[in-house]
Amino acid sequence: MSPADTLRFATRAATAWPLRTALMMLAMSIGVAAVVVLTALGDGARRYVVNEFSALGASLLIVLPGRTETGGVNAGSFVSSTPRELTNADAAALLRLPLVQRVAPLAVGNSEIAVGGRLREVTVVGTSADFLELRGLKIGHGGFLPREDFNRASAVAVIGDALRSELFPGQSAVGRMIRVGDTRLRVIGVLTPSGRGLGMTTDELVLVPVATAQAMFDTSGLFRIFVEARGREALPATQRQIEERLRARRDDELDFTVITQDAVLGTFDRILGALTLGVAGIAAISLAVAGILVMNVMLVAVTQRTAEIGLLKALGARAGTIRAAFLAEAALLSVAGALAGFALGHAGAWGVRLAFPQLPAWPPDWAVIAALATALGTGVLFGVLPARRAARLDPVQALSKR
Amino acid sequence: MAQIELEHIDRIFKLGDSEVHALRDITLRIEPGEYVAVMGPSGSGKSTLLNLLGLLDRPDAGHYRLEGRDVTTLSADEQAAVRSARIGFVFQSFHLVPRLSAAENIGLPLVLAGIPVAERAARIAQALQDFGLEGRARHRPDELSGGQRQRVAIARATIMRPAMLLADEPTGNLDRATGHEVTALLEALNAAGTTLIVVTHDPSMGERAHRRILMEDGAIRQDLRTAAPPP
Amino acid sequence: MRWRDALHLALRAITAHRLRSLLTLLGIGVGIAAVILLTSIGEGLHRFVLAEFGQFGTNVINLHPGRQGARGGPPGLPSTARDLTLDDADALARLPHVRHVTGSVSGNAEVRAQGRVRRSTVLGVGPQMQEVYSMRVRVGQFLPPDEAASARAFVVLGPKLARELFGSTIALGEHVEIGAERFRVVGVMEEKGQFLGIDLDDAAYIPVVRGMALYQRDGLMEIALTYDPEAPAARVAEAVKKRMIARHGREDFTVLTQEDMLATLSNILDLLTAAVGALGAISLLVGGVGIVTIMSIAVTERTGEIGLLVALGARRRTILALFLGEAVVLAGIGGLLGLLVGAGLAQLVGLLVPAMPVATPWRYALAAEGVAIVVGLAAGVLPARRAARLDAVEALRAE
Repeated sequence: MSPADTLRFATRAATAWPLRTALMMLAMSIGVAAVVVLTALGDGARRYVVNEFSALGASLLIVLPGRTETGGVNAGSFVSSTPRELTNADAAALLRLPLVQRVAPLAVGNSEIAVGGRLREVTVVGTSADFLELRGLKIGHGGFLPREDFNRASAVAVIGDALRSELFPGQSAVGRMIRVGDTRLRVIGVLTPSGRGLGMTTDELVLVPVATAQAMFDTSGLFRIFVEARGREALPATQRQIEERLRARRDDELDFTVITQDAVLGTFDRILGALTLGVAGIAAISLAVAGILVMNVMLVAVTQRTAEIGLLKALGARAGTIRAAFLAEAALLSVAGALAGFALGHAGAWGVRLAFPQLPAWPPDWAVIAALATALGTGVLFGVLPARRAARLDPVQALSKR
Repeated sequence: MAQIELEHIDRIFKLGDSEVHALRDITLRIEPGEYVAVMGPSGSGKSTLLNLLGLLDRPDAGHYRLEGRDVTTLSADEQAAVRSARIGFVFQSFHLVPRLSAAENIGLPLVLAGIPVAERAARIAQALQDFGLEGRARHRPDELSGGQRQRVAIARATIMRPAMLLADEPTGNLDRATGHEVTALLEALNAAGTTLIVVTHDPSMGERAHRRILMEDGAIRQDLRTAAPPP
Repeated sequence: MRWRDALHLALRAITAHRLRSLLTLLGIGVGIAAVILLTSIGEGLHRFVLAEFGQFGTNVINLHPGRQGARGGPPGLPSTARDLTLDDADALARLPHVRHVTGSVSGNAEVRAQGRVRRSTVLGVGPQMQEVYSMRVRVGQFLPPDEAASARAFVVLGPKLARELFGSTIALGEHVEIGAERFRVVGVMEEKGQFLGIDLDDAAYIPVVRGMALYQRDGLMEIALTYDPEAPAARVAEAVKKRMIARHGREDFTVLTQEDMLATLSNILDLLTAAVGALGAISLLVGGVGIVTIMSIAVTERTGEIGLLVALGARRRTILALFLGEAVVLAGIGGLLGLLVGAGLAQLVGLLVPAMPVATPWRYALAAEGVAIVVGLAAGVLPARRAARLDAVEALRAE
């Protein structure tokens, strides 16, 4: 039989029993749709996180105090004290490096702000003028922190938009005084709202000059130093320069860590990618179950069409022809079901994008191809046994069944 | 040279603990164009003989030469090829595929043989005409009368222009009038040169054949010729 | 009809087509196995985390300066709130039900000895640390109960740090340099392993006042205390809060009971386990579709049988029950199979990957079987109703 005829034969056979064909397609489509939607979710989360963190940080390096023997990023390096801290002078020294474009020292802490007679927690970020550009923030009203010596503790602050609406509802905040902990500060700017992000938001921050924060928290060290290199290609060279300069300032001790945003992102990317893969894999188990159903129903069909198979043999059909016809049927059902599932899955992903506009929930190509291929593969694999059974029927016995 | 030569054919079935000798030491020669009726009580082995002749079954002993070629030890695929090209079957219960139309049923052997679509259509149209089924081409078997169904079956059996037609109780499921029609059809095909071997228990059907083979207990009891064999 | 007979009939119908029935219940089985395997891993993880926390003793309360950071700042940030002081720790020690107290500071510093240098975690702690964190010295003794202000320059090393610095020689009595000071080794801690990724064995413990000097701090990073096991955690926490508010003037600190810490973590882990179980349930759904398909085919095949039953006087309800029963039995057996395979696989995973803890609690197994039966019921309803509604005359004629 020519391939076209085999296909035609298979289609007629499948449509002759519409209910069971529909159910088998349903089973396949559930599996494929699940894989499509879940990978869309997972990949959307991955891309969201990577975008959020990287849009601005392609040339960003972070200097942390302290170092572990294993190096790199670990849980402990979030907050670390050392005998010798990173200082404002260290940060200023980095500014003078040729490959460095911007430097923002960071001293962070928690404090309280008085709002309508109540005390409200806020996170205070002590930093410098470069922080605005470095993190891609925008000023809504007024201006940002002044460009001054890092050791100058001006009594000024820039607040986030949510804070503004809490402290000064309906009024302009610029020029007003606020009290953070025991320190009085003049508001010189308000940040634009950061939008409904899943991640960190700047809406509730108070940004002050780094020395002001250090005075507030009675510390002379820095939490971090953010450094922006002149372009992505300069990153490795910049990292080396930073390490050299800081070592020189610290009696050649390597008691700090320099990491690139890229490295952190890379870790995130890999973790979320692996998670997506795992989730898709689990969903794909359902495709195996769908395949079992295909085998089951095809075996029933062989039993019910025994006389037909005997006839085909009497008419001169070879064993291979009969095998091919039944395999084609199984494959056809799987493909049709998979395509239906693909459409369903895309609809689901579209629904996710409607519900969460910031999540770029698109099913990645690799997942779609894998799902379709797996569906087809399991369908064919589980169609083999019934096809072989059909081909091996004894024509005499088969014909006497009617 | 005989078209069909059977030599010392044995066929044994195992039923539970016992053995049944469906065919015992059958030796038989059939010339091309003969009209043979195989008759006998149930269990005599006539259907087994037909299945063997049609290469649907293999003998346990002996040789089967078809058109000079020893087909006893052919592989399953080779046997299928011979069935496709040289042999046509007509069954008592028609065995039409319920989901295919009359035209599609008739065309099945052509599809199996890989004949291209255009040629198929032409040959099917001719067959429909030859067998008076033009108006019924698109109908499914459950929309056809018994006689029409058997005509479709015969059209299917002959569309590959086989050397022989094997009919197992072709009129068994038909009323008398329709049965006569079908018999006439088969005989016309035989007159045109196709060897016709009919298994029947109907004596009046058997009378019409030119040669009657009576079977009993798996052996040929009688082999009567009532008309002169064709040259 | 007696339900035992119905069951018997259902079993006969199922065994009449053994391969078909096997494949059908396999569909459910795979789904249940997936769910059990995944939730077992989730539950194992849950217990693992609880155990990890539990190894530090269960009657622990932690205090940190400052309130919880505004929306997710990392823990341990400095604060404009008043420091926690050693005096605070002493005051808390005098509360009823409080057994042991230790104030601590921690950070990253270089430890030098025998010409070797290693950068490790150096903690300034009080002499009661062993009791509070359930960590004991293996060799020698812990820091002596000196007055904090005049604590001698002793150090207790973690086992890994001791090995790295001293190799196979005994560390006791030797001297190490931390920061700019010399300390004498008076003890080596027992092995504790990793806690959530932090190596506890790669650490050194010095008196808290010296730690504060090392890191140039005026206050403590944390005060941890243990209380009588019979006293309810909430009451002790309240007492601690009241005393601290009295001393500080306001609540500028955070009190965390073990339960608080575990509760959040537990919730997250439960959510994860549920999500992962739901993923496995997709397979279960497909298995259910399988039952619907096969039962529909069975109804069509056995039309004559159904007509016969009706002719013999069976009520529609009986026919419904018969087919529904078949579906439920299929699903139930499939569920049992899946349970065994899933639990078995989970155990295998636990053996092959020692780092991966697994646990299959009874309630999961029972719930899984219950779900399987429900799936069988739901899947069998439509075909069973079709069977019950067949017209007997038509059915018998079709034979």
